[in-house]
Amino acid sequence: MNVSGLVLTCFRNHKETAVTWAPRLNVITGPNGAGKTNLIDAIHYLCMSRSFVATSDQYVVTSGEKSFTVEARFSGAIRSKPFDVRCTYSRGEGKRIYVNDSPLDKLSDLIGRVPVVVLSPDDKKLTREGPAERRSFLDGFIAQLSSAYLRDLIDYRRVLKQRNALLADYRMSRDVMQAMIEPWDLQLATLGSRIVHTRAQTLLRFTTYLEKGYETIAGIGHKPTFAYKTFINTVYSDMQINDYSQEGGADPDSSAPLSDFTIAGGPDSATADTRAGNTEGVAAGEDGVSGGKQAVWTPEEIQQSYAELLQSGFDKDRERQQTTIGPHRDDIVFYLNDLELRKFGSQGQHRLFALALKLAQRDYYTDELGDMPIFLLDDVFGDLDPSKTQVLVHMLLEQSGQVFITAANRNLFTSMFTPQKGMDALYRVADGQVTPLSE
Amino acid sequence: MQLTSETLENAIEQLAKLPGMGRKTAQRMAMHLLKQSDDRVNQLAQSLIDLKTKIKYCSVCYNVTDSDPCPVCTNAKRKTGTICVVEDPKDVYVIEKMNEFRGRYHVLGGVISPMENVGPNDIRIKELIARINDEAEGVEELILALNPDAEGEATSFYINKMVKPFGVRVTRIAHGIPVGSELEFIDEATLNRAFAGRVTF
Repeated sequence: MNVSGLVLTCFRNHKETAVTWAPRLNVITGPNGAGKTNLIDAIHYLCMSRSFVATSDQYVVTSGEKSFTVEARFSGAIRSKPFDVRCTYSRGEGKRIYVNDSPLDKLSDLIGRVPVVVLSPDDKKLTREGPAERRSFLDGFIAQLSSAYLRDLIDYRRVLKQRNALLADYRMSRDVMQAMIEPWDLQLATLGSRIVHTRAQTLLRFTTYLEKGYETIAGIGHKPTFAYKTFINTVYSDMQINDYSQEGGADPDSSAPLSDFTIAGGPDSATADTRAGNTEGVAAGEDGVSGGKQAVWTPEEIQQSYAELLQSGFDKDRERQQTTIGPHRDDIVFYLNDLELRKFGSQGQHRLFALALKLAQRDYYTDELGDMPIFLLDDVFGDLDPSKTQVLVHMLLEQSGQVFITAANRNLFTSMFTPQKGMDALYRVADGQVTPLSE
Repeated sequence: MQLTSETLENAIEQLAKLPGMGRKTAQRMAMHLLKQSDDRVNQLAQSLIDLKTKIKYCSVCYNVTDSDPCPVCTNAKRKTGTICVVEDPKDVYVIEKMNEFRGRYHVLGGVISPMENVGPNDIRIKELIARINDEAEGVEELILALNPDAEGEATSFYINKMVKPFGVRVTRIAHGIPVGSELEFIDEATLNRAFAGRVTF
């Protein structure tokens, strides 16, 4: 996908900015606080309907103003014709998205039209912090590929909220609540099983992309792997299962214990070679991992298992006044060379792992969609050593995808590559003013 | 700013409270009404007053009506054995416009939603069961025509469970592809439902 022009109005410190982008590398430099990130955040708004930096739309409006607008033209292999996307937000009236001037019914209808991958300093949360960060990465990842997944996710959250509201009704007797909860359990099981199935299928395929991504940036000789932790266990009891909640106490950053069971793959239960297949525990139980029979988990089987777990966990849920089992508690555990990254990873390893995840996401999209996603790299080069920076820049130059890079230091790039006319461009940003630099 | 007419301001404020009405629109509407003849404005005002004073709820189906029971429930030409269950009077309005359904209705007046503190006892499920128990009604089929969202689904499921012991046939309207649309523009989730609910040709 390509974005050719961008117009920002009252978007943070950009009162009125118009930029024409180059089709490959766009390097945006300038002093801190000049508005570099805001430029690529505006592009993110037009892909994902929200900021990747700010927590609330109202902070994005230039102070003293009532509303912001961002607009850009996109083109790419996914659609035959170029199309315009516009996003407006005003206090009081909220956010609207227009594609070719016609408003979208729901903001979520935008997602997937322009696939985007973001690399930002916030990525360190992905491997360091709690499961919510990883679930949100995974959900954003899949939602851009499948609108059905996004719809299921939205519906799932709605049903979950309703079920939790019911569980929180302390005046209700146990029997009444049990009868009342059934319609919600049923929907949760249908939606939740489809979510888990899609997550498992996606992660299963993601493994090789991650290995390649890590190799690109860190060279050969490292083995990045992961295990998908979800709730299923009872139906396929012959599959190897590790109970993480028993392993050295609860995770420090999750107030409630994680899902009680994990499909295969603790550090001491499988070798690095088989761990790559851990996600198959859900999608297709692999002989080497499980030692059991080949079992392909269909959504129906997951659904049945989930429905049973919801039933048997009813009293626990009622006591805690919330749903303790489901994909909203899923997690992904990352390993590097057999060691759990979160426990044993160094600063540098965390950084490279996050980078590898995003490179893998980009490659995955490219294969899946037959077109490269827009790649936004926000201030990531300050963190990398010169050789890794060089590797990354060369990789980006070899591929055709459009890339946006923000950095404080321009010399870093000018020493590394010469912008090719008509392909790459350098921009300087100061006080919300963007100036294209020739050479 | 100095107001020259409190009366006008008051009218604007009242109009602005209506759903879908912003202050600007309310202003325009108030100014428009001011220019109309006395007669027309009186008619409008009277119709609004009648809305609250004359309209009743049908004691059988709970639809809005001028006379109780409502014309649908008293119409001898309509089938008594089939009840279409809807959430809201405006759903009856839509289905009646179709001119196809010849049975009767039951308006629940809401759907189950724990978040908003609405349980089965807060909507007219008890009344529905009473109708099924009423021999005079001779209910053979319930058609559930609730919205296909989380709350509508939960309510449909609950009703189905509650009426099962009475041996009434429970059906639901189909979910899927709107007539006149093209397959390629249908979202995956809708298509999915359309496939799940396919019918024998």
